[in-house]
Amino acid sequence: MMKRILSILAIMTAVAGISCSRQKELHVFIWADYMNNDVITAFEKNENCRVVMDFFDSNEALYAKVKAGATGYDLYICSSYMVNIMNDQKMLQSIDLWKLKNIGNIDPEYLKISLDPAMSHSVPYMMSFAGIAYNTEKVKNFVPTWGMLDRSDLKGRITLLNDLRETIGAALKFNGCNYNSLNPAELDKARQTVLRWKKNIAKFDVDEAKRGLEAGEFFLIHTYNGDALQIISQNPKIAFAVPREGTSISVDDMVIPTSAVNADLAYRFIDHLLDPEVCSKNMEYISYLAPNLAAQKIMPKDFMQNPAVLPSKEILKKSDILKDLGADNATYSKIWDEIKSAE
Amino acid sequence: MRRSRIPFYLLVGMLVFLYLPLIIVIVNSFNMSRYGGQWGGFTLKWYSRLFSDRTIWYALGNSLLIALTSTVTSMVLGTTAAIALYRFKTRLQSAHRLFIHLPLVMPDILVGISLLLFFVALKVRLGLFTIYLAHVTFCISYVAMVVLGRLQDFNYAVIEAAMDLGASWPAAIRKVMIPMITPGIMAGGLLAFTLSIDDFVITFFVSGPGSATLPLYIYSMIRHGSPMVINALTGIFIVFTFTVVTISKKLLEEK
Repeated sequence: MMKRILSILAIMTAVAGISCSRQKELHVFIWADYMNNDVITAFEKNENCRVVMDFFDSNEALYAKVKAGATGYDLYICSSYMVNIMNDQKMLQSIDLWKLKNIGNIDPEYLKISLDPAMSHSVPYMMSFAGIAYNTEKVKNFVPTWGMLDRSDLKGRITLLNDLRETIGAALKFNGCNYNSLNPAELDKARQTVLRWKKNIAKFDVDEAKRGLEAGEFFLIHTYNGDALQIISQNPKIAFAVPREGTSISVDDMVIPTSAVNADLAYRFIDHLLDPEVCSKNMEYISYLAPNLAAQKIMPKDFMQNPAVLPSKEILKKSDILKDLGADNATYSKIWDEIKSAE
Repeated sequence: MRRSRIPFYLLVGMLVFLYLPLIIVIVNSFNMSRYGGQWGGFTLKWYSRLFSDRTIWYALGNSLLIALTSTVTSMVLGTTAAIALYRFKTRLQSAHRLFIHLPLVMPDILVGISLLLFFVALKVRLGLFTIYLAHVTFCISYVAMVVLGRLQDFNYAVIEAAMDLGASWPAAIRKVMIPMITPGIMAGGLLAFTLSIDDFVITFFVSGPGSATLPLYIYSMIRHGSPMVINALTGIFIVFTFTVVTISKKLLEEK
Protein backbone atom coordinates (compact mmCIF):
# COMPACT_ATOMS: atom_id res chain seq x y z
CA MET A 1 0.00 0.00 0.00
CA MET A 2 2.68 2.46 1.12
CA LYS A 3 4.79 1.63 -1.92
CA ARG A 4 1.91 2.27 -4.23
CA ILE A 5 1.22 5.68 -2.70
CA LEU A 6 4.89 6.59 -2.96
CA SER A 7 5.07 5.60 -6.61
CA ILE A 8 1.95 7.63 -7.37
CA LEU A 9 3.57 10.61 -5.65
CA ALA A 10 6.76 10.14 -7.64
CA ILE A 11 4.81 10.10 -10.89
CA MET A 12 2.86 13.20 -9.88
CA THR A 13 6.01 15.19 -9.11
CA ALA A 14 7.58 14.02 -12.34
CA VAL A 15 4.53 15.13 -14.34
CA ALA A 16 4.51 18.48 -12.53
CA GLY A 17 8.20 18.89 -13.30
CA ILE A 18 7.74 18.22 -17.01
CA SER A 19 4.70 20.40 -17.44
CA CYS A 20 6.31 23.49 -15.89
CA SER A 21 9.21 23.85 -18.30
CA ARG A 22 9.88 24.09 -22.08
CA GLN A 23 7.64 27.00 -23.19
CA LYS A 24 8.25 30.63 -22.32
CA GLU A 25 6.10 31.66 -19.39
CA LEU A 26 4.63 34.97 -18.37
CA HIS A 27 3.66 35.25 -14.70
CA VAL A 28 0.95 37.76 -13.94
CA PHE A 29 -0.10 38.77 -10.41
CA ILE A 30 -3.66 40.09 -10.61
CA TRP A 31 -7.14 40.14 -9.04
CA ALA A 32 -9.10 36.96 -9.79
CA ASP A 33 -11.63 37.01 -12.66
CA TYR A 34 -10.33 40.38 -13.88
CA MET A 35 -9.43 39.52 -17.47
CA ASN A 36 -11.24 37.87 -20.36
CA ASN A 37 -9.90 34.33 -20.89
CA ASP A 38 -10.13 34.64 -24.70
CA VAL A 39 -7.69 37.54 -24.54
CA ILE A 40 -5.16 35.41 -22.69
CA THR A 41 -5.57 32.44 -25.02
CA ALA A 42 -5.06 34.68 -28.06
CA PHE A 43 -1.82 36.04 -26.61
CA GLU A 44 -0.58 32.53 -25.83
CA LYS A 45 -1.20 31.49 -29.42
CA ASN A 46 0.48 34.56 -30.96
CA GLU A 47 3.57 34.39 -28.80
CA ASN A 48 3.74 30.63 -28.38
CA CYS A 49 4.02 31.04 -24.62
CA ARG A 50 2.05 30.23 -21.51
CA VAL A 51 0.42 32.89 -19.32
CA VAL A 52 0.21 31.87 -15.69
CA MET A 53 -2.03 33.93 -13.43
CA ASP A 54 -1.62 34.28 -9.69
CA PHE A 55 -3.98 36.11 -7.41
CA PHE A 56 -3.98 38.38 -4.39
CA ASP A 57 -6.98 39.47 -2.36
CA SER A 58 -5.90 42.99 -1.40
CA ASN A 59 -3.29 45.50 -2.47
CA GLU A 60 -1.79 45.32 1.00
CA ALA A 61 -1.36 41.55 0.84
CA LEU A 62 0.39 41.89 -2.51
CA TYR A 63 2.69 44.53 -1.07
CA ALA A 64 3.52 42.52 2.06
CA LYS A 65 4.37 39.52 -0.04
CA VAL A 66 6.58 41.11 -2.68
CA LYS A 67 8.22 43.43 -0.16
CA ALA A 68 9.27 40.35 1.83
CA GLY A 69 11.09 39.15 -1.26
CA ALA A 70 8.71 36.93 -3.21
CA THR A 71 9.86 36.97 -6.83
CA GLY A 72 9.06 35.29 -10.12
CA TYR A 73 6.27 37.60 -11.30
CA ASP A 74 6.67 39.55 -14.52
CA LEU A 75 3.65 41.82 -14.26
CA TYR A 76 1.42 43.12 -11.47
CA ILE A 77 -2.00 44.59 -12.06
CA CYS A 78 -3.00 46.46 -8.89
CA SER A 79 -4.43 49.78 -7.70
CA SER A 80 -2.57 52.95 -8.52
CA TYR A 81 -2.15 54.13 -4.93
CA MET A 82 -0.20 50.93 -4.25
CA VAL A 83 1.77 51.41 -7.47
CA ASN A 84 2.71 54.81 -6.08
CA ILE A 85 4.05 53.25 -2.87
CA MET A 86 5.93 50.50 -4.70
CA ASN A 87 7.50 53.05 -7.01
CA ASP A 88 8.69 55.12 -4.06
CA GLN A 89 10.34 51.98 -2.74
CA LYS A 90 12.10 51.41 -6.08
CA MET A 91 10.32 48.11 -6.62
CA LEU A 92 9.24 48.85 -10.20
CA GLN A 93 11.02 49.11 -13.53
CA SER A 94 10.60 52.30 -15.49
CA ILE A 95 8.50 51.76 -18.59
CA ASP A 96 10.09 52.24 -21.98
CA LEU A 97 7.16 53.69 -23.89
CA TRP A 98 8.90 53.06 -27.25
CA LYS A 99 8.34 49.34 -26.77
CA LEU A 100 4.57 49.82 -26.67
CA LYS A 101 3.23 50.61 -30.10
CA ASN A 102 -0.36 50.89 -28.83
CA ILE A 103 0.48 53.38 -26.08
CA GLY A 104 -1.02 56.23 -28.12
CA ASN A 105 -4.50 54.80 -27.40
CA ILE A 106 -4.40 55.98 -23.79
CA ASP A 107 -6.76 58.88 -23.13
CA PRO A 108 -4.70 62.08 -22.58
CA GLU A 109 -7.56 63.56 -20.55
CA TYR A 110 -7.24 60.68 -18.11
CA LEU A 111 -3.47 61.16 -17.83
CA LYS A 112 -4.00 64.70 -16.55
CA ILE A 113 -5.47 63.36 -13.31
CA SER A 114 -3.31 60.22 -13.14
CA LEU A 115 -0.81 59.68 -10.31
CA ASP A 116 1.75 58.87 -13.00
CA PRO A 117 0.90 61.30 -15.82
CA ALA A 118 4.05 60.55 -17.84
CA MET A 119 3.50 56.78 -17.58
CA SER A 120 7.09 56.53 -16.39
CA HIS A 121 6.50 53.33 -14.40
CA SER A 122 2.87 52.28 -14.97
CA VAL A 123 0.29 51.88 -17.72
CA PRO A 124 -3.40 52.14 -16.77
CA TYR A 125 -5.53 48.99 -17.19
CA MET A 126 -9.06 49.72 -15.98
CA MET A 127 -10.69 52.49 -14.00
CA SER A 128 -13.68 52.58 -11.74
CA PHE A 129 -15.32 55.29 -9.70
CA ALA A 130 -17.77 55.78 -6.90
CA GLY A 131 -21.21 57.31 -7.31
CA ILE A 132 -24.83 56.95 -6.35
CA ALA A 133 -27.10 54.06 -7.32
CA TYR A 134 -30.80 54.61 -6.68
CA ASN A 135 -34.23 53.13 -7.16
CA THR A 136 -35.96 55.22 -9.84
CA GLU A 137 -39.45 54.37 -8.53
CA LYS A 138 -38.81 55.37 -4.95
CA VAL A 139 -36.57 58.42 -5.36
CA LYS A 140 -38.49 61.40 -6.78
CA ASN A 141 -36.77 64.39 -8.44
CA PHE A 142 -33.33 62.85 -8.45
CA VAL A 143 -30.51 65.36 -8.82
CA PRO A 144 -26.98 64.05 -9.39
CA THR A 145 -25.27 65.57 -6.37
CA TRP A 146 -23.82 64.40 -3.07
CA GLY A 147 -26.51 66.63 -1.56
CA MET A 148 -28.97 63.74 -2.10
CA LEU A 149 -27.58 62.28 1.12
CA ASP A 150 -29.26 65.16 2.98
CA ARG A 151 -32.74 64.45 1.60
CA SER A 152 -35.04 63.95 4.57
CA ASP A 153 -37.70 62.08 2.54
CA LEU A 154 -35.18 59.22 2.10
CA LYS A 155 -34.29 59.05 5.79
CA GLY A 156 -33.24 55.56 6.85
CA ARG A 157 -33.17 54.31 3.24
CA ILE A 158 -29.68 55.50 2.33
CA THR A 159 -26.32 53.81 2.81
CA LEU A 160 -22.81 55.23 2.61
CA LEU A 161 -19.70 53.20 1.83
CA ASN A 162 -18.04 51.79 4.92
CA ASP A 163 -14.71 53.16 3.76
CA LEU A 164 -13.08 56.14 5.39
CA ARG A 165 -11.42 57.61 2.33
CA GLU A 166 -14.51 57.25 0.14
CA THR A 167 -17.00 58.66 2.61
CA ILE A 168 -14.93 61.50 4.09
CA GLY A 169 -13.81 62.22 0.52
CA ALA A 170 -17.39 62.48 -0.72
CA ALA A 171 -18.06 65.07 1.98
CA LEU A 172 -14.90 66.94 1.02
CA LYS A 173 -16.01 66.97 -2.62
CA PHE A 174 -19.52 68.07 -1.60
CA ASN A 175 -17.85 71.07 0.06
CA GLY A 176 -15.76 71.72 -3.05
CA CYS A 177 -12.46 70.30 -1.81
CA ASN A 178 -10.06 67.60 -3.00
CA TYR A 179 -10.39 63.91 -2.04
CA ASN A 180 -6.78 63.93 -0.83
CA SER A 181 -7.12 67.14 1.20
CA LEU A 182 -4.97 67.54 4.31
CA ASN A 183 -6.22 71.02 5.22
CA PRO A 184 -7.52 70.83 8.84
CA ALA A 185 -10.30 73.36 8.26
CA GLU A 186 -11.58 71.49 5.20
CA LEU A 187 -11.36 68.16 7.00
CA ASP A 188 -13.27 69.50 9.98
CA LYS A 189 -16.02 70.79 7.72
CA ALA A 190 -16.15 67.40 5.99
CA ARG A 191 -16.41 65.67 9.36
CA GLN A 192 -19.43 67.80 10.22
CA THR A 193 -20.99 67.01 6.84
CA VAL A 194 -20.59 63.27 7.33
CA LEU A 195 -21.98 63.57 10.87
CA ARG A 196 -25.06 65.30 9.44
CA TRP A 197 -25.40 62.58 6.77
CA LYS A 198 -25.00 59.90 9.42
CA LYS A 199 -28.24 61.05 11.06
CA ASN A 200 -30.06 60.62 7.74
CA ILE A 201 -28.69 57.26 6.59
CA ALA A 202 -29.38 53.67 7.58
CA LYS A 203 -25.77 52.53 7.85
CA PHE A 204 -22.23 52.47 6.51
CA ASP A 205 -21.93 49.36 4.40
CA VAL A 206 -20.43 47.84 1.26
CA ASP A 207 -21.96 44.49 0.35
CA GLU A 208 -25.27 44.30 2.23
CA ALA A 209 -26.21 47.65 0.67
CA LYS A 210 -26.14 46.16 -2.85
CA ARG A 211 -28.43 43.33 -1.86
CA GLY A 212 -30.66 45.81 -0.02
CA LEU A 213 -30.97 48.10 -3.02
CA GLU A 214 -31.89 45.22 -5.30
CA ALA A 215 -34.44 43.87 -2.83
CA GLY A 216 -35.99 47.30 -2.21
CA GLU A 217 -34.84 47.75 1.37
CA PHE A 218 -32.63 50.74 0.51
CA PHE A 219 -33.51 53.43 -2.04
CA LEU A 220 -30.19 55.15 -2.55
CA ILE A 221 -26.69 53.80 -1.96
CA HIS A 222 -23.15 55.11 -2.27
CA THR A 223 -21.37 52.45 -4.35
CA TYR A 224 -18.89 51.70 -7.12
CA ASN A 225 -19.89 51.81 -10.77
CA GLY A 226 -18.98 48.18 -11.53
CA ASP A 227 -21.22 46.97 -8.73
CA ALA A 228 -23.99 49.31 -9.84
CA LEU A 229 -23.84 47.88 -13.39
CA GLN A 230 -24.34 44.40 -12.02
CA ILE A 231 -27.31 45.45 -9.90
CA ILE A 232 -28.84 47.26 -12.89
CA SER A 233 -28.54 44.11 -15.02
CA GLN A 234 -30.63 42.33 -12.37
CA ASN A 235 -33.12 45.06 -11.66
CA PRO A 236 -33.85 47.64 -14.39
CA LYS A 237 -35.53 49.97 -11.88
CA ILE A 238 -32.10 50.85 -10.53
CA ALA A 239 -30.10 53.71 -12.05
CA PHE A 240 -26.64 55.11 -11.41
CA ALA A 241 -25.35 58.67 -11.43
CA VAL A 242 -22.07 60.39 -10.79
CA PRO A 243 -22.49 63.47 -8.56
CA ARG A 244 -21.85 66.69 -10.48
CA GLU A 245 -19.36 67.87 -7.83
CA GLY A 246 -17.00 65.08 -8.91
CA THR A 247 -16.07 61.75 -7.40
CA SER A 248 -13.20 59.43 -6.55
CA ILE A 249 -11.55 57.42 -9.27
CA SER A 250 -9.57 54.26 -8.70
CA VAL A 251 -7.37 52.83 -11.37
CA ASP A 252 -5.66 49.51 -11.68
CA ASP A 253 -2.28 49.86 -13.33
CA MET A 254 0.00 47.43 -15.13
CA VAL A 255 3.53 47.54 -13.76
CA ILE A 256 6.70 45.52 -14.28
CA PRO A 257 8.58 44.73 -11.05
CA THR A 258 12.36 45.07 -10.94
CA SER A 259 12.54 41.33 -10.25
CA ALA A 260 10.76 40.42 -13.50
CA VAL A 261 12.35 37.50 -15.34
CA ASN A 262 10.61 37.98 -18.63
CA ALA A 263 10.25 41.74 -18.95
CA ASP A 264 10.15 41.62 -22.77
CA LEU A 265 7.20 39.26 -22.74
CA ALA A 266 5.53 41.50 -20.15
CA TYR A 267 5.93 44.46 -22.51
CA ARG A 268 4.33 42.49 -25.31
CA PHE A 269 1.48 41.48 -23.01
CA ILE A 270 0.86 45.10 -21.98
CA ASP A 271 0.90 46.08 -25.65
CA HIS A 272 -1.54 43.27 -26.40
CA LEU A 273 -3.90 44.52 -23.68
CA LEU A 274 -3.72 48.04 -25.12
CA ASP A 275 -4.83 46.79 -28.54
CA PRO A 276 -8.31 48.26 -29.22
CA GLU A 277 -9.97 44.91 -30.06
CA VAL A 278 -8.47 43.15 -27.05
CA CYS A 279 -9.16 46.01 -24.69
CA SER A 280 -12.81 46.22 -25.74
CA LYS A 281 -13.21 42.48 -25.11
CA ASN A 282 -11.88 43.01 -21.60
CA MET A 283 -14.19 45.95 -20.99
CA GLU A 284 -17.17 43.90 -22.07
CA TYR A 285 -16.15 41.03 -19.80
CA ILE A 286 -15.53 42.94 -16.58
CA SER A 287 -17.79 45.97 -17.22
CA TYR A 288 -15.17 48.53 -16.29
CA LEU A 289 -13.92 51.37 -18.45
CA ALA A 290 -10.39 51.34 -19.78
CA PRO A 291 -8.89 54.79 -20.46
CA ASN A 292 -8.21 53.62 -24.02
CA LEU A 293 -9.73 55.92 -26.67
CA ALA A 294 -9.33 53.57 -29.64
CA ALA A 295 -11.05 50.76 -27.72
CA GLN A 296 -13.81 53.04 -26.47
CA LYS A 297 -14.60 53.92 -30.12
CA ILE A 298 -15.45 50.34 -31.03
CA MET A 299 -17.52 49.62 -27.92
CA PRO A 300 -21.29 49.38 -28.41
CA LYS A 301 -23.11 52.72 -28.06
CA ASP A 302 -25.25 51.70 -25.10
CA PHE A 303 -22.16 50.68 -23.16
CA MET A 304 -20.45 54.04 -23.68
CA GLN A 305 -23.54 56.15 -23.08
CA ASN A 306 -24.21 54.49 -19.77
CA PRO A 307 -23.41 56.90 -16.93
CA ALA A 308 -22.33 53.90 -14.87
CA VAL A 309 -19.55 53.26 -17.36
CA LEU A 310 -18.36 56.66 -18.47
CA PRO A 311 -18.65 59.85 -16.42
CA SER A 312 -18.81 62.98 -18.55
CA LYS A 313 -15.60 64.88 -19.34
CA GLU A 314 -16.55 67.77 -17.03
CA ILE A 315 -17.10 65.47 -14.07
CA LEU A 316 -13.92 63.56 -14.82
CA LYS A 317 -11.95 66.80 -14.65
CA LYS A 318 -13.33 67.57 -11.20
CA SER A 319 -12.63 64.07 -9.87
CA ASP A 320 -9.59 62.84 -7.97
CA ILE A 321 -7.62 59.64 -7.75
CA LEU A 322 -7.25 58.45 -4.17
CA LYS A 323 -3.63 58.72 -3.14
CA ASP A 324 -1.95 56.95 -0.28
CA LEU A 325 -1.29 59.62 2.33
CA GLY A 326 1.45 57.79 4.20
CA ALA A 327 1.73 59.08 7.76
CA ASP A 328 -1.22 61.39 7.22
CA ASN A 329 -3.56 58.41 6.94
CA ALA A 330 -3.79 58.70 10.72
CA THR A 331 -5.56 62.06 10.37
CA TYR A 332 -8.28 60.40 8.36
CA SER A 333 -8.53 57.44 10.73
CA LYS A 334 -9.00 59.80 13.65
CA ILE A 335 -11.84 61.65 11.92
CA TRP A 336 -13.39 58.33 10.91
CA ASP A 337 -13.27 57.08 14.50
CA GLU A 338 -15.02 60.24 15.67
CA ILE A 339 -17.70 59.79 13.02
CA LYS A 340 -18.24 56.11 13.78
CA SER A 341 -18.46 56.63 17.54
CA ALA A 342 -20.76 59.68 17.37
CA GLU A 343 -24.37 59.19 18.39
CA MET B 1 -40.98 8.48 33.49
CA ARG B 2 -41.06 10.76 30.46
CA ARG B 3 -37.75 11.65 29.02
CA SER B 4 -36.84 15.31 28.74
CA ARG B 5 -37.41 16.85 25.34
CA ILE B 6 -34.60 19.39 25.74
CA PRO B 7 -31.79 17.23 24.26
CA PHE B 8 -33.92 16.69 21.17
CA TYR B 9 -34.50 20.42 20.65
CA LEU B 10 -30.82 21.07 21.23
CA LEU B 11 -29.93 18.49 18.60
CA VAL B 12 -32.33 19.98 16.06
CA GLY B 13 -31.02 23.48 16.81
CA MET B 14 -27.43 22.38 16.33
CA LEU B 15 -28.19 20.57 13.07
CA VAL B 16 -29.99 23.63 11.70
CA PHE B 17 -27.12 25.87 12.74
CA LEU B 18 -24.58 23.60 11.05
CA TYR B 19 -26.39 22.63 7.89
CA LEU B 20 -28.79 25.46 7.03
CA PRO B 21 -25.99 27.73 5.72
CA LEU B 22 -24.78 24.89 3.47
CA ILE B 23 -28.30 24.34 2.15
CA ILE B 24 -28.69 28.07 1.47
CA VAL B 25 -25.45 28.08 -0.51
CA ILE B 26 -26.57 25.09 -2.59
CA VAL B 27 -30.03 26.56 -3.24
CA ASN B 28 -28.48 29.90 -4.20
CA SER B 29 -26.18 28.24 -6.69
CA PHE B 30 -29.30 27.65 -8.81
CA ASN B 31 -30.52 31.20 -8.31
CA MET B 32 -30.70 33.44 -11.38
CA SER B 33 -30.22 36.60 -9.32
CA ARG B 34 -26.59 37.57 -8.94
CA TYR B 35 -26.65 38.63 -5.32
CA GLY B 36 -28.86 35.90 -3.94
CA GLY B 37 -31.03 38.39 -2.05
CA GLN B 38 -34.11 37.41 -3.97
CA TRP B 39 -35.11 34.28 -5.84
CA GLY B 40 -34.76 35.19 -9.52
CA GLY B 41 -35.64 31.84 -11.07
CA PHE B 42 -33.89 28.52 -11.64
CA THR B 43 -30.70 28.46 -13.67
CA LEU B 44 -27.67 26.31 -14.37
CA LYS B 45 -25.62 29.17 -15.79
CA TRP B 46 -23.32 29.42 -12.74
CA TYR B 47 -22.44 25.76 -13.18
CA SER B 48 -21.70 26.25 -16.86
CA ARG B 49 -19.53 29.27 -16.05
CA LEU B 50 -17.77 27.21 -13.43
CA PHE B 51 -16.99 24.42 -15.88
CA SER B 52 -15.71 26.81 -18.52
CA ASP B 53 -13.29 28.57 -16.15
CA ARG B 54 -9.96 26.87 -16.70
CA THR B 55 -8.24 28.69 -13.83
CA ILE B 56 -10.58 27.21 -11.23
CA TRP B 57 -9.76 23.68 -12.32
CA TYR B 58 -6.06 24.40 -12.42
CA ALA B 59 -6.26 25.81 -8.88
CA LEU B 60 -8.32 22.83 -7.71
CA GLY B 61 -5.67 20.47 -9.13
CA ASN B 62 -2.97 22.33 -7.20
CA SER B 63 -5.02 22.22 -4.01
CA LEU B 64 -5.67 18.48 -4.24
CA LEU B 65 -2.06 17.68 -5.11
CA ILE B 66 -0.77 19.64 -2.13
CA ALA B 67 -3.41 18.33 0.26
CA LEU B 68 -2.74 14.69 -0.69
CA THR B 69 1.06 14.87 -0.57
CA SER B 70 1.25 16.92 2.62
CA THR B 71 -1.32 14.62 4.30
CA VAL B 72 0.65 11.48 3.52
CA THR B 73 3.94 13.03 4.63
CA SER B 74 2.54 14.45 7.84
CA MET B 75 0.82 11.13 8.65
CA VAL B 76 4.20 9.39 8.59
CA LEU B 77 6.14 12.14 10.40
CA GLY B 78 3.33 12.93 12.85
CA THR B 79 2.94 9.28 13.86
CA THR B 80 6.66 8.81 14.49
CA ALA B 81 6.66 12.03 16.51
CA ALA B 82 3.72 10.80 18.60
CA ILE B 83 5.34 7.41 19.23
CA ALA B 84 8.55 9.12 20.36
CA LEU B 85 6.63 11.43 22.68
CA TYR B 86 4.70 8.46 24.09
CA ARG B 87 7.67 6.17 24.57
CA PHE B 88 10.39 8.47 25.93
CA LYS B 89 10.17 10.94 28.78
CA THR B 90 13.58 12.62 28.51
CA ARG B 91 14.31 16.35 28.61
CA LEU B 92 14.86 16.28 24.83
CA GLN B 93 11.33 14.96 24.44
CA SER B 94 9.81 17.78 26.48
CA ALA B 95 11.47 20.23 24.08
CA HIS B 96 10.11 18.11 21.26
CA ARG B 97 6.62 18.31 22.79
CA LEU B 98 6.89 22.08 22.85
CA PHE B 99 7.89 22.22 19.20
CA ILE B 100 4.98 19.99 18.23
CA HIS B 101 2.56 22.23 20.13
CA LEU B 102 3.87 25.55 18.81
CA PRO B 103 2.34 25.48 15.30
CA LEU B 104 -1.08 24.90 16.87
CA VAL B 105 -0.99 28.20 18.74
CA MET B 106 1.07 30.41 16.44
CA PRO B 107 -0.98 32.87 14.38
CA ASP B 108 -1.09 31.89 10.70
CA ILE B 109 0.08 35.26 9.52
CA LEU B 110 3.26 34.95 11.60
CA VAL B 111 3.97 31.46 10.31
CA GLY B 112 3.28 32.57 6.75
CA ILE B 113 5.48 35.64 6.69
CA SER B 114 8.36 33.97 8.57
CA LEU B 115 8.31 30.97 6.24
CA LEU B 116 8.35 33.36 3.29
CA LEU B 117 11.35 35.24 4.68
CA PHE B 118 13.04 31.91 5.38
CA PHE B 119 12.51 30.60 1.86
CA VAL B 120 13.63 33.89 0.36
CA ALA B 121 16.80 33.86 2.49
CA LEU B 122 17.57 30.31 1.37
CA LYS B 123 16.82 31.31 -2.23
CA VAL B 124 14.29 28.50 -2.60
CA ARG B 125 12.07 29.06 -5.61
CA LEU B 126 8.53 29.71 -4.35
CA GLY B 127 5.93 27.37 -5.75
CA LEU B 128 4.06 24.15 -5.09
CA PHE B 129 7.05 22.70 -3.26
CA THR B 130 7.23 25.53 -0.72
CA ILE B 131 3.48 25.32 -0.13
CA TYR B 132 3.90 21.59 0.43
CA LEU B 133 6.65 22.16 3.00
CA ALA B 134 4.63 24.82 4.80
CA HIS B 135 1.55 22.60 4.95
CA VAL B 136 3.54 19.66 6.27
CA THR B 137 4.89 21.88 9.07
CA PHE B 138 1.49 22.62 10.50
CA CYS B 139 -0.16 19.29 9.59
CA ILE B 140 2.45 17.27 11.53
CA SER B 141 1.29 18.88 14.77
CA TYR B 142 -2.35 17.99 14.23
CA VAL B 143 -1.59 14.39 13.27
CA ALA B 144 0.78 14.01 16.23
CA MET B 145 -1.85 15.36 18.64
CA VAL B 146 -4.57 13.02 17.42
CA VAL B 147 -2.29 9.97 17.40
CA LEU B 148 -0.97 10.86 20.85
CA GLY B 149 -4.53 10.96 22.11
CA ARG B 150 -5.08 7.48 20.75
CA LEU B 151 -1.84 6.28 22.39
CA GLN B 152 -3.03 7.39 25.85
CA ASP B 153 -5.38 4.39 25.81
CA PHE B 154 -2.73 2.08 24.46
CA ASN B 155 -1.57 -0.60 26.82
CA TYR B 156 2.20 -0.88 26.56
CA ALA B 157 2.09 -4.38 28.07
CA VAL B 158 1.00 -5.60 24.63
CA ILE B 159 4.34 -4.53 23.17
CA GLU B 160 6.19 -6.21 26.03
CA ALA B 161 4.20 -9.37 25.43
CA ALA B 162 5.10 -9.28 21.73
CA MET B 163 8.77 -8.84 22.60
CA ASP B 164 8.60 -11.72 25.09
CA LEU B 165 7.32 -13.84 22.25
CA GLY B 166 10.41 -12.99 20.21
CA ALA B 167 9.50 -9.88 18.25
CA SER B 168 12.18 -7.24 17.92
CA TRP B 169 11.19 -3.72 18.99
CA PRO B 170 10.71 -2.41 15.44
CA ALA B 171 8.69 -5.48 14.52
CA ALA B 172 6.50 -5.07 17.60
CA ILE B 173 5.87 -1.47 16.67
CA ARG B 174 5.13 -2.32 13.05
CA LYS B 175 3.01 -5.42 13.58
CA VAL B 176 1.28 -4.60 16.87
CA MET B 177 1.24 -0.94 17.72
CA ILE B 178 0.67 0.58 14.27
CA PRO B 179 -2.35 -1.59 13.41
CA MET B 180 -3.89 -0.78 16.78
CA ILE B 181 -3.53 2.98 16.40
CA THR B 182 -4.47 3.06 12.70
CA PRO B 183 -7.87 4.70 13.35
CA GLY B 184 -6.04 7.54 15.11
CA ILE B 185 -3.60 7.94 12.23
CA MET B 186 -6.47 7.99 9.75
CA ALA B 187 -8.39 10.57 11.79
CA GLY B 188 -5.27 12.73 12.01
CA GLY B 189 -4.78 12.38 8.27
CA LEU B 190 -8.35 13.47 7.55
CA LEU B 191 -7.90 16.47 9.82
CA ALA B 192 -4.63 17.36 8.08
CA PHE B 193 -6.29 17.01 4.67
CA THR B 194 -9.13 19.39 5.51
CA LEU B 195 -6.75 21.91 7.08
CA SER B 196 -4.43 21.80 4.11
CA ILE B 197 -7.12 22.09 1.47
CA ASP B 198 -8.64 25.26 2.89
CA ASP B 199 -5.61 27.06 4.26
CA PHE B 200 -5.41 30.60 2.96
CA VAL B 201 -3.09 32.83 4.98
CA ILE B 202 0.06 30.68 5.07
CA THR B 203 -0.47 29.50 1.49
CA PHE B 204 -0.75 33.06 0.20
CA PHE B 205 2.68 33.97 1.49
CA VAL B 206 4.59 30.86 0.47
CA SER B 207 2.96 30.37 -2.94
CA GLY B 208 4.94 31.30 -5.99
CA PRO B 209 4.25 31.95 -9.66
CA GLY B 210 1.87 29.38 -11.11
CA SER B 211 0.91 27.74 -7.82
CA ALA B 212 -2.42 29.40 -7.03
CA THR B 213 -4.59 27.09 -4.93
CA LEU B 214 -8.36 27.09 -4.78
CA PRO B 215 -8.69 29.15 -1.56
CA LEU B 216 -6.39 31.82 -3.04
CA TYR B 217 -8.52 32.01 -6.15
CA ILE B 218 -11.84 32.09 -4.31
CA TYR B 219 -10.65 34.73 -1.86
CA SER B 220 -9.40 36.95 -4.63
CA MET B 221 -12.69 36.62 -6.53
CA ILE B 222 -14.40 38.64 -3.80
CA ARG B 223 -13.24 41.85 -5.42
CA HIS B 224 -14.22 41.38 -9.08
CA GLY B 225 -15.54 37.86 -9.48
CA SER B 226 -18.93 36.29 -9.25
CA PRO B 227 -19.95 34.95 -5.83
CA MET B 228 -22.52 32.73 -7.53
CA VAL B 229 -19.82 30.70 -9.29
CA ILE B 230 -18.34 30.08 -5.87
CA ASN B 231 -21.75 28.88 -4.67
CA ALA B 232 -21.83 26.39 -7.53
CA LEU B 233 -18.33 25.19 -6.67
CA THR B 234 -19.31 24.84 -3.01
CA GLY B 235 -22.33 22.83 -4.04
CA ILE B 236 -20.19 20.36 -5.96
CA PHE B 237 -17.70 20.19 -3.12
CA ILE B 238 -20.34 19.42 -0.51
CA VAL B 239 -21.88 16.65 -2.62
CA PHE B 240 -18.40 15.26 -3.27
CA THR B 241 -17.44 15.30 0.44
CA PHE B 242 -20.69 13.63 1.50
CA THR B 243 -20.21 10.88 -1.10
CA VAL B 244 -16.64 10.21 0.01
CA VAL B 245 -17.64 10.10 3.68
CA THR B 246 -20.55 7.76 2.98
CA ILE B 247 -18.42 5.41 0.88
CA SER B 248 -15.59 5.31 3.41
CA LYS B 249 -18.10 4.57 6.19
CA LYS B 250 -19.57 1.72 4.13
CA LEU B 251 -16.10 0.30 3.54
CA LEU B 252 -15.24 0.45 7.24
CA GLU B 253 -18.49 -1.27 8.23
CA GLU B 254 -17.89 -4.14 5.82
CA LYS B 255 -14.55 -4.89 7.47
